[in-house]
Amino acid sequence: MTTEFDVEFIERTDRNARFLVRGLTPAFANGIRRAMVADVPTLSIDTVRFVENSSVMFDEMIALRLGLIPLTTPLDDFELGDTVTVALDVEGPATAYSGDIVTSEPGVEVADKNIPIIKLNSGQRLEFEADAVLDRGKDHAKHQGGVAVGYRHLQKVEVDGDLGEFDDEEPQILRGVIETEDGELIASSEFDHDLTKLYPGKELSVTDVPGAFVFHVETDGSFSVEELVDRAAETIGDRADELKNAVAV
Amino acid sequence: MMIPVRCFTCGKVVSEHYEEFQARAQAGDEDPQKVLDDLGVNRHCCRRMMVSHADLVDVVSPYQ
Ligand SMILES: [Zn+2]
Repeated sequence: MTTEFDVEFIERTDRNARFLVRGLTPAFANGIRRAMVADVPTLSIDTVRFVENSSVMFDEMIALRLGLIPLTTPLDDFELGDTVTVALDVEGPATAYSGDIVTSEPGVEVADKNIPIIKLNSGQRLEFEADAVLDRGKDHAKHQGGVAVGYRHLQKVEVDGDLGEFDDEEPQILRGVIETEDGELIASSEFDHDLTKLYPGKELSVTDVPGAFVFHVETDGSFSVEELVDRAAETIGDRADELKNAVAV
Repeated sequence: MMIPVRCFTCGKVVSEHYEEFQARAQAGDEDPQKVLDDLGVNRHCCRRMMVSHADLVDVVSPYQ
């Protein structure tokens, strides 16, 4: 690779991040995005064996809800297709929460503990044992670790001069991240997405910065944002290696 | 019947926050907009999951 990537974080928490990458082509930016959505595997409940379900929901409906519950996934410890057994036993009157699910692996647990699975009246009971399997978003959307992953161009805002004395000042709505003339990065939420609030009475021009993309990455709690981005880049590298080997043979 | 586990559109886990939203904004007297902002339910696809949901478990629960 001749270009060097330059990464700058604008916002960063465990599950949510916004970062600027310079030196990308649009095709590669999209490749990373797609890898984050479809190629990074997560654990998700797949097969459910009901012992008792006297709730008002059918087994299938409960199984669907279970599949959507995010499980923390230590990717180093699992191979694609590996399973983890989980179980739940709740008797009404109570609500069965995702936090009531117990797992057989210490590193694997429910990422969000407050998800109501089903409300049970007195006399109703939900008991099951289930297998969570490691698979990719390509095969089922419940295995997507990235939520609403996307990117925008970085936009450069330049001041061309002052507005004429009698010109109307119209709002200039913009979303994403801007780069000012001093090279400062500002998220548009800081000025209420209206450029005239940041530069009152100025004539402005906004242009896309070539090769600079602002990614917004959110995970469902299966792993951290860093892990998701790392693994996505890794899958692209792995596939490039595969191709290289196939050509060499 | 029960709140969907995730947002239909983006896949964010919204059910995690539903009971708090219900208690604060629909049973309580807080402004739903502020509660959703506070809970981190920011996109309008996720917000509609919460705002438009009718919890019917209690209606169907006597029948089984
Ligand atoms: Zn959503």
